[in-house]
Amino acid sequence: MSLLEQPSIWDPEVDFGTPAVVADASVSVTIDGRQVDVPVGTSVLRAATEAGVTIPKLCATDSLKAFGSCRMCLVEVDGAKGVPASCTTPCADGMVVSTQTETVRELRRNVMELYLSDHPEDCDGCARGNCEIQALAATVGSAEVRYGRPESREQVAHAHPVDESNPYFSFDSSSCIVCSRCVRACSDIQGTFALTVEGRGFDSRISAGGSDFLSSECVSCGACVQACPTSALQERSIVQLGMPTRSVETTCAYCGVGCSFRAEVSGEGQDAQVVRMTPSKNGGANEGHSCVKGRFAYGYASHQDRQLSPMVRDSIDDEWRPVSWDDAIATVAAGFKAIQAEHGVGAIGGISSSRCTNEEVYVVQKMVRAAFGNNNIDTCARVCHSPTGYGLKQTFGTSAGTQDFRSVEQADVILLIGANPTDAHPVFASRMKRRLREGARLIVADPRRIALVRSPHVEASYHLPILPGSNVAFVNAMTHVIVSEGLHDEEFVRERCEDADDYLAFIADPSNSPEAMAGATGVDPDQLREAARLFAHAGNAAIYYGLGVTEHSQGSTMVMGMANLAMVTGNIGRSGVGVNPLRGQNNVQGSCDMGSFPHEFPGYRHVSEAGVRGIYEQLWGKTLDAEPGLRIPNMFDSALAGTFRGLYIQGEDIAQSDPNTQHVEAALRAMDLVVVQDLFLNETARFAHVFLPGTSFLEKDGTFTNAERRINRVRPVFDSKVGMDEWEITCAIGRAMGYDMSYAAASEIMDEIAATTPTFAGVSFARLDEVGSMQWPVFDNDSVGTPIMHIGEFVRGKGRLIETVFVPTTERSTRKFPLILTTGRILSQYNVGAQTRRTANNTWHPEDVLEIHPADAEVRGISTGDLVDLSSRVGSTTLRAQVSERMPAGVVYTTFHHPVTGANVVTTENSDWATNCPEYKVTAVQVGVANARGDEAVAEAREPAETHA
Amino acid sequence: MKIAAEARMGNDIARQFAHLPPAQAAEVIARHIETFWDPRMRRELEALVAEGDDSLDPLLVDAAGRLAAHASRSEPDALP
Repeated sequence: MSLLEQPSIWDPEVDFGTPAVVADASVSVTIDGRQVDVPVGTSVLRAATEAGVTIPKLCATDSLKAFGSCRMCLVEVDGAKGVPASCTTPCADGMVVSTQTETVRELRRNVMELYLSDHPEDCDGCARGNCEIQALAATVGSAEVRYGRPESREQVAHAHPVDESNPYFSFDSSSCIVCSRCVRACSDIQGTFALTVEGRGFDSRISAGGSDFLSSECVSCGACVQACPTSALQERSIVQLGMPTRSVETTCAYCGVGCSFRAEVSGEGQDAQVVRMTPSKNGGANEGHSCVKGRFAYGYASHQDRQLSPMVRDSIDDEWRPVSWDDAIATVAAGFKAIQAEHGVGAIGGISSSRCTNEEVYVVQKMVRAAFGNNNIDTCARVCHSPTGYGLKQTFGTSAGTQDFRSVEQADVILLIGANPTDAHPVFASRMKRRLREGARLIVADPRRIALVRSPHVEASYHLPILPGSNVAFVNAMTHVIVSEGLHDEEFVRERCEDADDYLAFIADPSNSPEAMAGATGVDPDQLREAARLFAHAGNAAIYYGLGVTEHSQGSTMVMGMANLAMVTGNIGRSGVGVNPLRGQNNVQGSCDMGSFPHEFPGYRHVSEAGVRGIYEQLWGKTLDAEPGLRIPNMFDSALAGTFRGLYIQGEDIAQSDPNTQHVEAALRAMDLVVVQDLFLNETARFAHVFLPGTSFLEKDGTFTNAERRINRVRPVFDSKVGMDEWEITCAIGRAMGYDMSYAAASEIMDEIAATTPTFAGVSFARLDEVGSMQWPVFDNDSVGTPIMHIGEFVRGKGRLIETVFVPTTERSTRKFPLILTTGRILSQYNVGAQTRRTANNTWHPEDVLEIHPADAEVRGISTGDLVDLSSRVGSTTLRAQVSERMPAGVVYTTFHHPVTGANVVTTENSDWATNCPEYKVTAVQVGVANARGDEAVAEAREPAETHA
Repeated sequence: MKIAAEARMGNDIARQFAHLPPAQAAEVIARHIETFWDPRMRRELEALVAEGDDSLDPLLVDAAGRLAAHASRSEPDALP
């Protein structure tokens, strides 16, 4: 049996050839005798596919606009001359199409012959089933090639050495048919424009800008690989593992975009392996796109560093001892109970993880409230978007962004502040760039010259390089211009908002003017005024922001300030507008929704509300504490004070991610029992007494909720590698503590969430499996969710305009520490790096570096690559410098992906006044050439402040 | 001198409301602390006030005196 006769072992998503069209009107066409109704504007190719008629194609794919170059999808239309390409021919009402006439079959055979004349017979993709050419040749009946065919790849006219520079995929030009799908994917979908077609005729070849892929502008999003109809661009995992045999639809476990993926797998049970992750076209958040993390960096789930057995030790100086689950859980329960017996009910607590599912997080907060008997539950959102929760609840009535991601496609002006989406939220950034290429205007307010300020076919109308710590001054000045010049939406303010008179008087005061605030913001007042006018005059103006807003001493005030700006200009309650937080981790929104804060039950309801408390008391059969518990920073302070002595940490690495590392480590050392549940022995585990192995997203059954409130299913690809699901572990601890909490399946946990949380009332696994995803609120089983919030009325009734007085941070540059450090992320790494550092993503970012302005570098004698000491009033570390014009003078920047450099050794205890979110973005520092040189200096970089006094 | 965590955090809150009339500011600060602070932190703040800790913002001192007056919270943490 030839390869062509082998049955298909793989069932990829249906490719409709051209994108779906949204239109109110439809037309009816008949294709090969089958009638189909499609929206006006739909191509014949797509209509045929929808009707179950397969038309051969090569250059067409439904993620890209029709190109009309391959001449394979030719058809005949009754009453029309010629043989049009079905991909570029729109359906007309009453059209009768024939796709298999002898005329078009002959033309296709001839065209196919030409393709085969330059396609090697030894194409390994064809043999493997990952190249469409051979199968298509069989379909169109090209039995022989009159022009000859290269027997091997070396004989192909445009063959070049295989480019294997990228760790995840290769490019073999000999298999390439130069259909330009990859070029168009890079430009139209990703928006990077890294690829082009070089040469002419038979010498035409795809080029990554004249260099190899790794050295090029390529960001390894995988869009080109996804689009390639041959094996020219191919995942290296396909070569290593072969084609997948099944797929599982699930959700990425990296950033808050929450992309849907098909985990394509071979093997079953414990032998199953992920062959590749491909972005799901039906994913509401990503619609078929991906980034280098979600698409490729999943190998950490099976990394040799995974800890698969529970372990205990009496002291943090002892070696770990593997134990059974029963012994580990008994140790945890006995330890926590002993602490409570000696030091009180409130002496223990838990931290839930934004990397875990809603169901896993829900049971952790339930365990703390019902089994521990207190409200000492907090989550890592404390250190990122807790000000978003506070600010948006105060102003709009609920703690979430107002829009879906698709909304950006209607925006006319985008204010991007404190966010760098091309690095931190790359799939959404591609969506935003597409809108900018269509003509939307962009205002970037950021100290750094981020990529979106100027990149291929995108240029911000204004880049306002605000000084770190001046966000509130900036947003007040923006709103001041709009109100004082009468550009605000008076009707919206009067009808939809409250406290309008007081707020308008406050913001119109000259003390909020751009000129008055220029000393704080560092921004040219004229530029700021022009930007404010642009925002005010937009039909739809939208605000997108990230941790550059929240991680400040006035993070919550700034969120309210942005809400004020949106309300004053009437930019709330429809598509294209809104206040849009770009959440950091995959389930930050969900972990907050699930009651992970010490003052709130699920659904953001305060623990003091007797009616809400009663719901849980009745269901859980326990009297619950009506007082708020400790937040994470408060836990540390209380640990050092001796009143907090036991901590359960689910999937977080607080010893690396939280500020003032010395303080965190001292607090952990002070506790009697620290329990870490994680994939790896992370930095925090150095201070743990019990280690409980966790499960990766490929083993989880549950849901994640992304930044647009979209609840997506997470489905297991493998059985748990550690023998238990994480929610089962948590329940087991609860039971061992004396509180009976059990579920038969994760779906039962969601059922309990839905039964007790009005905004989730219509959510269940069954409904999610049926409709794909839903954006809360989902008030009942008739609803499929709420993409846009606050239409007609705010959740709290009227939107609240709150006076946002600018109060400068107490962290200021001094003669000793004259620079300001701000921290962030880079594209290839994620958060503390526990996942991405265990993948080939280290190729791009093997260590954290300090970006510094040329003038600041020169005066210190620093060149790119030099080791430098970075010191603040709390600590010091050593890392390499990168002189960069992206930085403004006086400001330096680094990431915190690598524990060896430990950027948080230098960040301080300063925090947002309302939520205690750390002020990561403003730390006064000094930088100097390191005395010691060599890698060992980095390895032994971190020192507390005492040694630098 | 090292400032107690409760004093530092309380002062941060107080600075946000310094633009309000003092009595109103103290009331708002007290309500925020009740809504978000664990009882042991509130007790620590009250102890600092009782000790006469001079690092405390006067508005925070006033707010601490109002904590006991709020036995129940029908509307948690609504700003003025």
